[in-house]
Amino acid sequence: MSKYAFWPGCVAQGAAPELYTSTLAVAEHLGMDLVELEAAACTGAGIISDGEPYLQDVLNARTMAMAEQMDLPLMDICSTCVGVHRLAAEKLRDVDYRIRINHHLAPEGIEYRGSVDPRHLLWIVLEDVGIDKINSKITRPLEELNLGPFYGCYLVRPERTLEFDAHPTRRDSLEQLIEILGATTVTYDGMTKCCGFPILTMNKQNSLTMAGTHLDEAQSKGADALVTPCPLCHLNLDAQQPDAAKVIDRNLNLPILHVPQLLGLAMGLAPEKLGLTRHVVDTNRLLNKIGV
Amino acid sequence: MAQQEFIIERYNPDTDESYEESFNVDVQPGQTVLDSLNAIKWDQDGTLSFRMSCRHAICGSCAMKVNGQSMLSCQTQVDAAAERGDPIRVGPQGNQNVIKDLVVDVNKFLNQFERAETWLEPYEDQEPPEREYRQKVEEFDHWSHASTCIHCGACYSDCTVAAVDENFLGPAALAKAYRFVMDSRDSKREERLQFLSEEQGGIWDCTRCYMCVQACPKDVLPMDAIMELRTLAIEAGHVNNHGVRHHKGFMSGVRKRGRLDEMMLPVQSVGIGRLLTGNLAAHKEMMDYTPGAIRLLKSRKLLTIAQRHGANADGREQIERIFEEVEAEKHHHDVDAEAFGAEFETAIGGH
Repeated sequence: MSKYAFWPGCVAQGAAPELYTSTLAVAEHLGMDLVELEAAACTGAGIISDGEPYLQDVLNARTMAMAEQMDLPLMDICSTCVGVHRLAAEKLRDVDYRIRINHHLAPEGIEYRGSVDPRHLLWIVLEDVGIDKINSKITRPLEELNLGPFYGCYLVRPERTLEFDAHPTRRDSLEQLIEILGATTVTYDGMTKCCGFPILTMNKQNSLTMAGTHLDEAQSKGADALVTPCPLCHLNLDAQQPDAAKVIDRNLNLPILHVPQLLGLAMGLAPEKLGLTRHVVDTNRLLNKIGV
Repeated sequence: MAQQEFIIERYNPDTDESYEESFNVDVQPGQTVLDSLNAIKWDQDGTLSFRMSCRHAICGSCAMKVNGQSMLSCQTQVDAAAERGDPIRVGPQGNQNVIKDLVVDVNKFLNQFERAETWLEPYEDQEPPEREYRQKVEEFDHWSHASTCIHCGACYSDCTVAAVDENFLGPAALAKAYRFVMDSRDSKREERLQFLSEEQGGIWDCTRCYMCVQACPKDVLPMDAIMELRTLAIEAGHVNNHGVRHHKGFMSGVRKRGRLDEMMLPVQSVGIGRLLTGNLAAHKEMMDYTPGAIRLLKSRKLLTIAQRHGANADGREQIERIFEEVEAEKHHHDVDAEAFGAEFETAIGGH
């Protein structure tokens, strides 16, 4: 059984509880053993580093040191968490910087040695679990569905940090997953752009114009739903969708799925177990389409 | 020699017509996209318009979209741009009006530099030096990345904020502003930080999407510069805005529970102080959040702390300790910096 140090991230433990429960359900079904990092802190999401970049690095060094101590690969379920963890890991390859940061971890009896390679569940499913195993678990191919990917910035940029050159399959990981599960990918310009969530409280108009534009584009290209590896994108695209529709003056009705929800549906798990009833944009029409 | 298909997004201003046109070009190994555009212009259609000059990735004229991403066409080889034998799609830069074919009106982009006054403002009461204004190598090293901008506009073209807001200063002008904030020869550091924090379309409107970092052909790292400007602006005391309140509110949640408290964050961003003093704009902002909160409640997404899994990090006292240590270390660092500043001012003669 493959074992992972698992960081759920704050939103999966807050306003997107369906991401947390669907992750556990899918992991169990795929035979993944998740050891949750219950003492770890929020990654800072790039917001702590607005004023305190050093503090953000210490918090993330601490999380990575915990995974390292257990000798387990680190798994995130949020594009933003992966991006911020990887940026910290990149900076902490510098030995002098690591020594300085480790002073703050010493009182807790831990040390970061620089070996962690933070990855998203989406990458782990494709890279570790593998296509054969996923295929063997599919009981409900999603052939009727046209799905638009929505990556979340930190799972596509900066490419240097994500090591796309060494792992070219990460470039289109969502499209791969959609196709493996039997659905059809709807590509559109907005799929690798910003959902607008980071500036929702600073500039609501700009934020919701971004969300609305991408939703409208995907919907008009025939998407039945979007699938995203980022719960922050989910908040802007799902929970804010009615407001985004008003801002761009269009009718929007596009369900937004989390990555493990999509996997779970194809593997025959019950919608309740995947938290599909906890969405702002109703998922029933989508479920009807695949006969659930 | 192989054939490569190019699909070019064209625009004819005389007829106000936008259309796509396909061209096949014989390409040699090492041939660039710009070479191919020239081949089309010279041999197939002389009316095709695009900007170019140096062909050595230094003039910044030939930035355009290749397969949807902005880049210098003179620096992009056909082999690298062609995926699995698919046609290469070439279009004009985004976020600016197209004049003809691949030529855009760059004034909107260039005006942002003027707005941010990105030129050196030397100390006026100081005798000009006999030769050039000098600074230390270590000082230059810190911002040298931001000095390599060639004003090609690739970052502005792909910027996700510029796409929805004409008023955004944009990555290039903000990186250039950073360059002068960091330059020890510039006398307007404080004014610059204030302007960049308070101006509509300034540093707090950036989404941190990394588009500019990815698009820049010169590794200017505009977004990193914007983030550093935020830190410098907070340190300089420019804290009365939504961005800083958001940052501070976020910090306080993580400090207390080790987790982001997204329920409190909108209130903190609007500003508890503003709300308590009866600021009408602040109350209207709060009202705007109400429908969203009701929707979350209805879909059972709003859980109380007690209902949430992992609402509090184990070992919170360790997280609190780290916050305190970093704060203390920073204070210590500030004292050092002040001493260094005084020494530096003596060295340059009283500034």
